[in-house]
Amino acid sequence: MSFPKKYYSIFFLISGCFLETNIARASDIFRIEKDTLNASARQLAIAFIQKTDTLARSSFWPNIKPATFLENIKLNINKPLSIYEGVSTNFCGYAALSYILLHDDPLVYAKFMLELYEHGEAIMGKVTFRPSPEIKQAAGSMKFKGKLDIRPADQMWFLSLADHFKGYLNLFDKHYDAGDEDKLWASVNYAKFNRMLRELFDEKMDAVGSDLIHPAISDLYEYISSKMKTGTMVLYINNTFLYKKTHSALKLAVPTHYIILQNISKADDTITMIYWDYGGRSLRQLTPRFLKRITYGITHCTKKMNDVQE
Amino acid sequence: MMCKSKLYLILFTAIIFCACNSTQKINTKYYEENEKELNNIEQSFKTLYTQKPFSIEFTDRSFDFVSIEIMTDSIKYIYEFGIDETRLKDTLLKYTLNEKGIRDIITKMRSIHCTWINNLDYYVDEQKSSLIFISMRPVGLSKPFTNKKYYILTYFSQPQYFNSEGKLLVKKQRNKIRKINGEIFWRINDKVCYTISARFR
Repeated sequence: MSFPKKYYSIFFLISGCFLETNIARASDIFRIEKDTLNASARQLAIAFIQKTDTLARSSFWPNIKPATFLENIKLNINKPLSIYEGVSTNFCGYAALSYILLHDDPLVYAKFMLELYEHGEAIMGKVTFRPSPEIKQAAGSMKFKGKLDIRPADQMWFLSLADHFKGYLNLFDKHYDAGDEDKLWASVNYAKFNRMLRELFDEKMDAVGSDLIHPAISDLYEYISSKMKTGTMVLYINNTFLYKKTHSALKLAVPTHYIILQNISKADDTITMIYWDYGGRSLRQLTPRFLKRITYGITHCTKKMNDVQE
Repeated sequence: MMCKSKLYLILFTAIIFCACNSTQKINTKYYEENEKELNNIEQSFKTLYTQKPFSIEFTDRSFDFVSIEIMTDSIKYIYEFGIDETRLKDTLLKYTLNEKGIRDIITKMRSIHCTWINNLDYYVDEQKSSLIFISMRPVGLSKPFTNKKYYILTYFSQPQYFNSEGKLLVKKQRNKIRKINGEIFWRINDKVCYTISARFR
């Protein structure tokens, strides 16, 4: 989601300082050569979670009831498209990340979530999560966020990710206070998004783009459609064009939203794309010019084939 | 010369002040003046939404282009049309929507500068409820120097609780203020609330 307007000026200043670094980092081809994590098919995750019929109430997460927590985990494994970042939050980057995890490694997700709930800390990939006491208090008590209100496991997961990973947009607000999920505290710049993918998941990934400049690709449609054949595609886009919220002619040219591109096709000069965000799939038609205008980052990741156990 | 400059300064300040405060004048009065049309739009939308979920958004300031979101179980289709385009009719028929009813809503929305209508879900005590969310761009709010240009109404299906100031509450007992899309809402009547916002959705 977009972050508040009052931060845009700060964003510009800071982005200017970090621009070169971001481009350099995002343009790198990240390859995780280590093959230690086992990916899991959905059946394995379902079987695992079904064995966990009952769960004792966790003293680490006082506002999360075990039954609702388990129900939420099961829903995410059975219907990974349904994970929802909440109304007006800045959790879209974390939701896009969750999409990849729930599709490629649902067993890792299930084990991690149970571990985090029961012990208050857990390891995923190269990262040890030790959420702060404020996060543990807040998870399960968020309100006015639509379906996220009734999904305590998603609250716990998104808050833990935002608490652990910090990018330059989070420099001025590193400490969680109630309501920070809508503010800079939760925002995800492009380099941070790619870093989270690299450190958490066992994926081959490459990324082009930045927080301020469109990727230098002459035929964006061709690039995206060819890449899509081999993996999951995340687009970092300017949401003020995709989901208009005002009729102002003046729109800031900055990306604010992450979507998962599921399909793209072109007929004449019209591109039809199917993408996932906000807990569901959408189909939208747009011109190549519009696609170029909204796209700032393209991250492509592929599950290592030797890991697949389906 | 000095006096003239001061006069201009005072006049300029007064104009800015009036423009910035124009939002204060539009509150329950706007609803009362347009109550019949607004309730009509809300009722028509509610009826058609139960047949097949959709939302309508005017994407431009001149109200010549409309975006329709058609929700199905598996996907949401988002299309944009000029209001006179034949594609609009063809698309509504293709997705078996009530073409005449939706066209009627679009016409009524345009007549009162209504920018968006949708059904929103919200949760109280883990129970799902829904409301109709209507945004408008009234002339009074379109003055310069006003950030908040949209008048937003929420139609609840059940009577709501409000505090002594008229702010919408989550529950009567807790006196906790409910926010919708990050905004505080104010009472018009038991089931209808309003707010003035910088965003229409």
